[in-house]
Amino acid sequence: MNLTFYNDKATWLHRLDPRTKICGVLLIFVICLCFNHPLFIAAILAGVLAIFTTAKSIKVLWKLRFLLVLLFVFSVVLWPFFIKGKTILLEWHGLEVSRESLLYGLAMGLRLTTFVSAGLLLLATTKNEEITNGLIRLGIPYPVAFALATAIRLAPTFADAGATIVQAQVSRGLDLDSKNIFSRFKRFAPLSIPIFISAMRYTNFLAMALESKGFRPDAPRTSYYEPQITGKDWLVLGFLTLILAACLYMRIALHWGIIIPGRL
Amino acid sequence: MTSSIVFDHLSFSYQNTTAPALQDISGEMSRGSFTMVMGHSGAGKSTLCCAINGLVPRFLRGDYVGMVMAEGMEAGKNSVPDMARAVGIVLQDFEAQLFSTNVELEMAFGLENQCLPRSAMEERIHTFLRVVGLEELLRRDTATLSGGQKQRLAIGSVLAMETPVLVMDEPTTDIDPEGRRHILSLIRRLRTQERTLVVTDLDAEAAVQADQVWLLKDGQLLAKGTPAETLTDSSLVESCGIRPLATIALFQAMNWPGQPLTVDAAMAEIDNQGLLCPRCPESRAISALTTGKVILETRNLSYRYPAGSTNALSDIDLTIQEGDFVAMLGQNGSGKTTLAKHFNGLLKPTAGDMFVRGRPVNNCRRHELAREVGYVFQNPDHQIFASTVGEEVSFGPRILGMDRKTLERNIAEALDATGLSGFEDKNPFLLNRGERQRVAVASILAVKPAVIILDEPTTGLDYVHQLDTMEMLKRLNQLGHTIIVITHAMWIAEAYTRRSILMKEGRILLDGPTASVFSDETMLAAASLAPSDLIRLRNRLGLAAMTLTDMVKELRGENILK
Repeated sequence: MNLTFYNDKATWLHRLDPRTKICGVLLIFVICLCFNHPLFIAAILAGVLAIFTTAKSIKVLWKLRFLLVLLFVFSVVLWPFFIKGKTILLEWHGLEVSRESLLYGLAMGLRLTTFVSAGLLLLATTKNEEITNGLIRLGIPYPVAFALATAIRLAPTFADAGATIVQAQVSRGLDLDSKNIFSRFKRFAPLSIPIFISAMRYTNFLAMALESKGFRPDAPRTSYYEPQITGKDWLVLGFLTLILAACLYMRIALHWGIIIPGRL
Repeated sequence: MTSSIVFDHLSFSYQNTTAPALQDISGEMSRGSFTMVMGHSGAGKSTLCCAINGLVPRFLRGDYVGMVMAEGMEAGKNSVPDMARAVGIVLQDFEAQLFSTNVELEMAFGLENQCLPRSAMEERIHTFLRVVGLEELLRRDTATLSGGQKQRLAIGSVLAMETPVLVMDEPTTDIDPEGRRHILSLIRRLRTQERTLVVTDLDAEAAVQADQVWLLKDGQLLAKGTPAETLTDSSLVESCGIRPLATIALFQAMNWPGQPLTVDAAMAEIDNQGLLCPRCPESRAISALTTGKVILETRNLSYRYPAGSTNALSDIDLTIQEGDFVAMLGQNGSGKTTLAKHFNGLLKPTAGDMFVRGRPVNNCRRHELAREVGYVFQNPDHQIFASTVGEEVSFGPRILGMDRKTLERNIAEALDATGLSGFEDKNPFLLNRGERQRVAVASILAVKPAVIILDEPTTGLDYVHQLDTMEMLKRLNQLGHTIIVITHAMWIAEAYTRRSILMKEGRILLDGPTASVFSDETMLAAASLAPSDLIRLRNRLGLAAMTLTDMVKELRGENILK
C-alpha cells in the first residue's frame, strides 16, 4: 500500500501557511468536540469533505477508505454497549441498547472519521518539510518537529519494504491466502523480523547520510521554503474561530446538538 | 600539486570484530585529482570512504589508529557535520539517503544546513540540477524517480554543497546500464571542476579514466598508481576480486604485444600491428535455442498496476522450455521484474493468460506454485529471519509440508549446491552479503522448484562472489533446473545464459540465443543496453565465442562448437 498522502496540486489550501493549516486542523478537532449529536457532526464532516474537494484531494481520502469505514463501523457497533440512555430498544442478559446510545455511537463514529479526515487534509496539502517548518515556527523544539516529520516520511518507505517482504516469503511457500488462525500465527516471524531488520538498517543509514550533509538537530539552519502569513491565512483562521464560537454558543447557551448531556 | 587528502598509517577495526577493516593505509590524493578505489567486497572500500569524512570513527565506532586529513581538517578530531564543510559523500545505498518530498527540497537540504539564504540556494540548485541533468524534474516526488535518476539526485545534492572533496561509494551499482553510463559521464565532467574525486567501484572498465587507482585487499592497500600501471596487471587485479579488463586479458592470453585499456585502443592496436586478418561476421556459427517441454507460457499477457495509467506489460507471448538458462534484460521499468512475478503467480495478468506446465496460474494458489517456480528476491535481507542457516533453509520445505526424510535430504542438497555445507548452525545475519545471497538461493532451492527465477542475483557482490553464484547456477542448470536471471550485468548474460530476452517499455524487443542477441548492438542500444568490452571486441573481430577462453580457442583456430 502506498502511504504517501501528499497530493501535489496548486490549490488555495496548498498555498496556505503551514502554521495556519496546523492551527486550522486543531480548531476543527475542537469544533468536533462541541457536539455529540450525529446530525451536527455529520454537518462538520460534510464541511471537511467540501474543503477536500476544493483542495482536489478526495483521492487521498479514497486511499484510506478501508481504515475510515473500519473506524466508523467499530465505533458504531461498540459504543452503544457502554453508554446508558433513556429509550431502551433492546435488552439482553443485562446488556442494553437504547436509542440515545445508538445515536451517540453514530456520532462518535462520525467524529473519529472527521478527525482522521482533517488530519489527512493537512498531510494531503502540506509537504513534510512545510509541516516541520510550521511546527518550529509555532515554537515546537526542532528535534521534536524533526522526529515527527521523519516518522511521517518513513511510513511509506517501511510499508514498501513490508510489501516486498510479503512477496518474498509467499514465493517460499508462506501461505497468506488461508484464513487458518494457526497458520497466521506461524507467519509472524518470517514477516516481522525482516521488516524490523530492514527498518533498523535504513534508519541507521539515514542518520549517517543526514550527518554527512552537515545536519545537526541543535544547530541553526535556514529554510528553502519560507511560507508567509498573508491576509488569506488570517481570513481562514478568523472564519474557523468564528465557527468555533458559534458552536460553543449553540452547545452551552442553546443546548443544541446534545444526545447525552454531560458527555463530550 | 598540493595534497587534498592524506592518509597517515590509518588502521581501523570495527567494534566487536577481530579482523581489521583497514590496515596501515598511507597515501595522498592531490587536489583536483580523481582516484578510483577498488577491491573485493569486504576489502575496506566503504570504510576508507567513511574515514575521509569522519563517519569512521565518529559514527561507526571501533579501534582507530593513525590519521586522515581532508583539506587540512583531521577527520577523527572533528564531528561529521563539521567535516561536511570539506567533504561531501554519496553513500552506497543511495535510495536511503533521499529524504525529501521533492527534487528541489532534496537539493536544498545540505544548503539549509550551511545556513545559505534562499536566493543563493535557488541559484545553486539550478546550477547543479543542470550538472546532473535533472533540471526538468525540479518538483518531482523523489520516490517516483528511476534508480539512475535517484543516484544522480543523491550526487547532485552533495555537489550543490560545493565541498572541495567529493567521495562516492559505488555510485554505479544497483542501477541499469543506461543510468550507469550517465553517472560515468557525469564523473568525467566533474573532473574539470577542480574537485578532489574519490570513487569506489567494482568494475575495472569504470576505472580507466581515473588519475590514480588504489587496489585494496583485506584492508590493505596493495597497489596504487595510474590505470596504465595498475590495471594492466591482470593477476593483481583479479587477486583483489575484480574482473580484469577484457582487452588486457585477451592480449595477454593471445600473447599479443601492447596493453590497451579500451576497446578502441585494442582495435587500433590490432589494426596497426596486423595481429589478425579480418573475418566475415556472417560466417559465425551460432547454436539454436533449447528445445524441450514447455514449462512456462504466456499468451497475450498484459498487466497494469492498480494505480497505473499505462500498461506495465503489453501482449507478451512467450514460452520457456524446461532446462533452459534465460537472461531477462532491459532498463529499469522495462517490465522484467513485473513479467517474472507472473511466472510464480505473485501478480495476476490483467488480460491474457499465464500457464505453468499448461495449468493456468489463476487457478493455482500462490504457495502451491512455490513448489514449481522459486523466486529469489534481489535483497536477501527481505527474506532472512531465522537464527540459523539450517532453520532458514528448512522454512520453505517445512511450510509446504514435506516429510522429514525428504526435507533433510533437500536441505543437505541445497546447502551443498550453494557451497554452504557446514554453515547449518551459523547465524545468517552475521554472514557477508555474498553468503546471505547464497542462503536466500538455498532456501528456494530446498523446495526443489523446477524453475528458479533470480532477480539481480549479483548486485552488491564482487567478481569472485559473482563467479561463485553463477557457477552454482550453472551446476543447478546442469542438474535440470530451468534458470531465469534478471540482470543488469551484461557479462553474466553473455557468459552463462543460452537465451536472452530483451525488454523495453513492457514489450519484448528481441528474444533469441544469447550469442546472436549480443551480436546485434543496434537492438541492444535500442533497449539502452551495451555489451561488455569483451563482447564488443568479439563483435568487431567477427567471432562466435562468448567467453574469453572460447575466444582464444577460436582465434587459435580450434573448433569450439564441439
